[in-house]
Amino acid sequence: MNWQQDEPKVIDEEMLKQAIEEQGPQGQAGDISKKEGIQYEDVLQLRLDYRNILKIFHLWHFTSLTKLQLDNNVIERIEGLENLTNLVWLDLSFNNIQVIEGLEALVKLQDLSLFNNRISVIENLDTLQNLHILSFGNNAIAQLENVLYLRKFKHLRTLNLAGNPICEEESYKTFVTAYLPDLVYLDYRLLDEQTRETANTKYKYAVEAMQQNELQEQQAMEAQKISNEELQLHKDAFVEFLNGPQLFDSMFDEDPDGEKLALLPGMEALLESYPCKMEALCVQIFDAGLTQHAQRTAEVESFFTCSHEAVADNRQKAAQIAADFESSRRQKIVEMQQITDVELLEDNISSCQEQASQLSETLMSLELQLVDQLEDIFKDFERNISDMVGGFIEYVQGIFAQCRDLENQHHEQQLEIALATLEKVVKNELEEEIPDDMAMLLVDKDTVTNAVSASHDTHLLKIDNREDELLTRINSWMSGLLKSIHDEEVKRNRKRVSEIRNYVSYVKDELEDMRMSEHH
Amino acid sequence: MEVLPEVDCEEDVTITDDEEDDEESSLSNIRITHTVTHIAKPRPQVALSKCPSSYKENSSQEKLMAAMAENFRQQYALLYPDRKALLLCPVNECSVQKFVSTTLRSTLLPYPELYDWEGCASFVADYLSLELLDPPFELPKQLSSPTWVLQTQRGTCFDFSIVLCSLLLGAGYNAYCVSGYATKEMCLLDQSRQECPLLQPQIQDKTEEPKKPMKKYSVKPPRDLHSNFERRQEEKQQAEAEAATLKKQLDAERLQKERERPPPDPLRGLRVHCWVLLLSGNREIPENFFIDPLTGKSYSTTDENFLGIESVWNHQNYWVNKQDCTFGCNEMTFDLGDLSKWEYVLCGQSLSIISDPKTLEEPEDEEEEEMDELKVFEMPPSWVTTIDISPADMEMRYPGGMKVIEYRKAKLEKFAPYLLKDGLVTKLTTYKDLDCTKASTIKEWFKHRSDHLDERELHTDSNVTTEHFRPGRSDALKYHRYVTLVPETERQMDFYSHIRTDGLARRIEKPFEMTETFENRTDFLFYRNAVYGKQIKVIRAGEALEQRPLQRVEERFHRDHSKPASKDVAERIFVVSDRRIQVTFHLEDDRIIPAWLNFIKPKEAADSQKAQAFTPQMVSGFQVDPSTKPYTNLQLYEMLVELMREEENVELHIRDSEKEVRSILSSREKEDSNTDLLISIYNPTRNEMARLHMEEKERMAKEKKQRQKEKELDLLAPSQVRLGLPEVLTSQDALQLKTDCLNEFKQQLFNKASLIQSRIEKETEELQKKQLWYQKNYLTMSNEDEDDYLAYCSDAMFRIHVLKMRLIRHKERAPQKYLALEEKLKRHPRLESGEVCRMLDHPSQMRLQFRLVAVLNHGHVI
Repeated sequence: MNWQQDEPKVIDEEMLKQAIEEQGPQGQAGDISKKEGIQYEDVLQLRLDYRNILKIFHLWHFTSLTKLQLDNNVIERIEGLENLTNLVWLDLSFNNIQVIEGLEALVKLQDLSLFNNRISVIENLDTLQNLHILSFGNNAIAQLENVLYLRKFKHLRTLNLAGNPICEEESYKTFVTAYLPDLVYLDYRLLDEQTRETANTKYKYAVEAMQQNELQEQQAMEAQKISNEELQLHKDAFVEFLNGPQLFDSMFDEDPDGEKLALLPGMEALLESYPCKMEALCVQIFDAGLTQHAQRTAEVESFFTCSHEAVADNRQKAAQIAADFESSRRQKIVEMQQITDVELLEDNISSCQEQASQLSETLMSLELQLVDQLEDIFKDFERNISDMVGGFIEYVQGIFAQCRDLENQHHEQQLEIALATLEKVVKNELEEEIPDDMAMLLVDKDTVTNAVSASHDTHLLKIDNREDELLTRINSWMSGLLKSIHDEEVKRNRKRVSEIRNYVSYVKDELEDMRMSEHH
Repeated sequence: MEVLPEVDCEEDVTITDDEEDDEESSLSNIRITHTVTHIAKPRPQVALSKCPSSYKENSSQEKLMAAMAENFRQQYALLYPDRKALLLCPVNECSVQKFVSTTLRSTLLPYPELYDWEGCASFVADYLSLELLDPPFELPKQLSSPTWVLQTQRGTCFDFSIVLCSLLLGAGYNAYCVSGYATKEMCLLDQSRQECPLLQPQIQDKTEEPKKPMKKYSVKPPRDLHSNFERRQEEKQQAEAEAATLKKQLDAERLQKERERPPPDPLRGLRVHCWVLLLSGNREIPENFFIDPLTGKSYSTTDENFLGIESVWNHQNYWVNKQDCTFGCNEMTFDLGDLSKWEYVLCGQSLSIISDPKTLEEPEDEEEEEMDELKVFEMPPSWVTTIDISPADMEMRYPGGMKVIEYRKAKLEKFAPYLLKDGLVTKLTTYKDLDCTKASTIKEWFKHRSDHLDERELHTDSNVTTEHFRPGRSDALKYHRYVTLVPETERQMDFYSHIRTDGLARRIEKPFEMTETFENRTDFLFYRNAVYGKQIKVIRAGEALEQRPLQRVEERFHRDHSKPASKDVAERIFVVSDRRIQVTFHLEDDRIIPAWLNFIKPKEAADSQKAQAFTPQMVSGFQVDPSTKPYTNLQLYEMLVELMREEENVELHIRDSEKEVRSILSSREKEDSNTDLLISIYNPTRNEMARLHMEEKERMAKEKKQRQKEKELDLLAPSQVRLGLPEVLTSQDALQLKTDCLNEFKQQLFNKASLIQSRIEKETEELQKKQLWYQKNYLTMSNEDEDDYLAYCSDAMFRIHVLKMRLIRHKERAPQKYLALEEKLKRHPRLESGEVCRMLDHPSQMRLQFRLVAVLNHGHVI
């Protein structure tokens, strides 16, 4: 049959079934698998070549697929592969693909073949950092700059670009070699030392400049990362943006009245000392926050190591007991299988059952003991951590109170100055010119007082907000932590208990089976 | 100069007069029993003629010293009439009186092991064999030089001390010889009451594990629900029982000790001994101590084996003890500068050195002291020549290459390396009884064996032999414990696992079991145990093999973290006899019960029936988490197939192991019966190849030197002498000299050419004569004569031919040689004045050359 004259197809259920059956296990294993039915999720390899496929479809079930061959079809678009995240090998050679797309999710991909397609630009591969082997042979790539895109794949060792328009260019080979220094094979050949040398000498400066740029970018990214980490640390300590004048700035940012009032004569001196004091208080909070955070982390760590130790210890003991029991049980069963006397067997079975109950009791009491122990230390930990948090909160509240005092003080002084200025204005004693904005305020006492107190309120609100934020976050952190510990413990306990029950019931069932079979 | 201060001195002697009288009367009755090793053989005669003159006569200084010593002795005898005579000026091997201090010759030998006192002491103890003092309560009459002692490898305890002290002084220790009294065991080198030092358990410095700090949240241990009272009662009972057994043990020990105690020594306190004292200060010695030169062991200065001290000396001075030694050396002080306790022979110089080395460093005092010291008589330099021990002697170490020491219930034999064919260097036999008749263990140490055997121990009770091997064997064997070398018996083999590709660390065999443990395998296997059934005959490849069928194989694996725990096999048991396979997986996190699967192998195809098909009933198992997806039948089937394949592999592995055991055993047997000793490439005395190579190298170096010398041969000297020219040449002279030299050489060449020419002529002439003779007589000649003639002719022709060739060669090379000489002369430093070269203008040179060639040709033509 000549496949080329076939109608173009879409991948369908029937085609998949056929392929799986053909490619699945053979012989006895095949029989077994046929009887059981094949789960698409379990298929690891699939070959769909020479089937005149036009559209990729129906593949979303194959979630554990690692190798997929779709070569020698008439596929025009890469699509429908989003769920195949375990794919390591993908062959799309000899198709009609024009654009690289739809491969973003296949992050485990190591070997990608797009040989003999109509691709003109290498693109959309950024997430595929594990690529080892890339084949773009017999395509329509005409720009050497496409190669530069491949620099980001640190694991790339084998590249095939043969049969593209760029290969005609004289400097093609040296260019690729120079810009992809880790490459081992290019176009079916090992890159020899000589080629490397000529390439290096030719493109030395260009490559170096590029490396320099990349290095700088990398450094910038690292710096960014470090500062992000720092910020994260501050956030974890709940004192972010308190190590500078940020709070003060935010207080005055959204304060239109304050801006105007700042222009009052005599305010300058006031505004000079105020931020300094405010900042000092903030920094106090900040420092305390960081040290407290370190203490809390140490406390949490110490708790976790201890509880893990206790759990591991207990687990080891229990596992030993269970292993001992299991080995003796196996021996017993072998012995019992040789007993022919029904009564004796009955005795043996009941004694075994008793032993199983005993084992369950031992294991359960061990588990209970662990639960008790963990509960004790959990209580201790809860008390300590809430003491710590409480202490910190108290301290922070004290400082925020100082902030408010400072603000109050500032407010009073401001009011005083404003009123004094107003008086002067009223009496026309003021020497300097007053800007129009100010003039608007300095109409009468009420307006001035209103403006000043409005500014004051904004400031206080900011301070209150910051305080509230800190308190809510630290409290929610604490309760979340405690809850998670508790939940984990409950989960662990449930798991262990069900494990013990499961095992004991298995043992008992087995014994029961033996008894039944004996009676029959 | 030497005046004894009048000090009230107590009776220092250990025995009072009346006692001594008693002793003397009984002395004749005492027979001294020597241990076998110390029987005094007659001393080899001194080859007096070989001794340097300093051995045979006294210098004036020494004579003065001797006189002073005599003076001292007289005063001493006068002041302390009760004390025994001192050892001051005994005769040496050449029967010349020498002062004891001058017999010490401080020497540092070029062997690193002799740089510290332990090495020196054990070397002296090993190297010399003891001659007992006769009688044991008298000082020796003769004190030989250390060189003589080392040469004969025999000596009294005094000789031992002198040698050891000489070495220690050379190594920078503050060492003294001590003459005094010691116990019988010490004097007779009787160690049969001591434990062998090799048997003493090695003290392991137990570094106590740092106690884990009590963490804040450590869980409390579960409450103990046992009665405290009961426990206490129990403890009490236990303690009582323990005390009772301990008491019994102690009693038994005491009894045993009493039985073993030697009979009291009638000569106690009289036996003369000589040992070495090391004073603290130099070379980081923190405390004074004694070294017994006979055993090489160190003792504290309060040790009860040392009963009294008469005198001490080093290479600079001699001190007499004035302290009471009635109760041994317990309360002795060794501050030799203390005049109330020690009396010196030479006053002055040494005091400052010994008492306080700091004073020497003070520059201010120095001048004054120097002024004093000028008047002081200094100890004459040692009359002994430098001590020298050859590397071969050093390696032999023991007299005759071996030494036997008897300890309590043990016998230690030491041998020099390469002495015995099997490489044995140390052999320790321990006995069950005091008389050393029933051996309990025999431990042997080897060196340089080609099979890398290092140590072997045989327990005679159980007949178990254990062997330790050094790394380097092709089978990586490290340790072997066995009864016999027959395979399939009980044994244990340890291996250097990092060398082996299979990572095998240990293999323990029992008659029906073999257990192997592995380390660092990539497949995480660490344990394999095989149980065998009764032996049956197996026919394989036409051969009948006795093979034990496998019944059960158990394999255990470490956790492979690349797999999930529930899929990672922890244990596989192949019950071959039951056709079952049991697989247990690793524990998952937070689980205490592992998952397992039991497979029953389907029957293979036999003649009558088809192979049994796989059914789900063949598998049973336990899954920890009931909610996880159970294995599909396909997975189970695949697992079973894989396991069956594995079973085959495992059997192959086990058979390989058995084969390996057999090959190791047979190779061990071969090695034991026929051992080669390895010779290091750095051992030039034994490694023939290395020696030859070295000699070759030396020869080359020599030849090179020779050539160098020839090169430097002065070509001009003969002519210069003949012409009677001065060293510094004028240009005229130089020219003269040069032409002379060249002419002479030319003459030589001519001579040679003409010599060859004349030989050719002679040969030709003779040949012609013979030919003439032949032509005349050939009709009447016998066949034999004719043959002779023909042989002669061909011979002669050959000779002529050779000579002609030589002549041609000579002619070819003569001008070259001549030019070379000329060139050389041109560059000769003494002729190197520009004029000379210029004077010898080119045409004349050429002419000379042509003439030479012409003359040579001419000669030939003739």
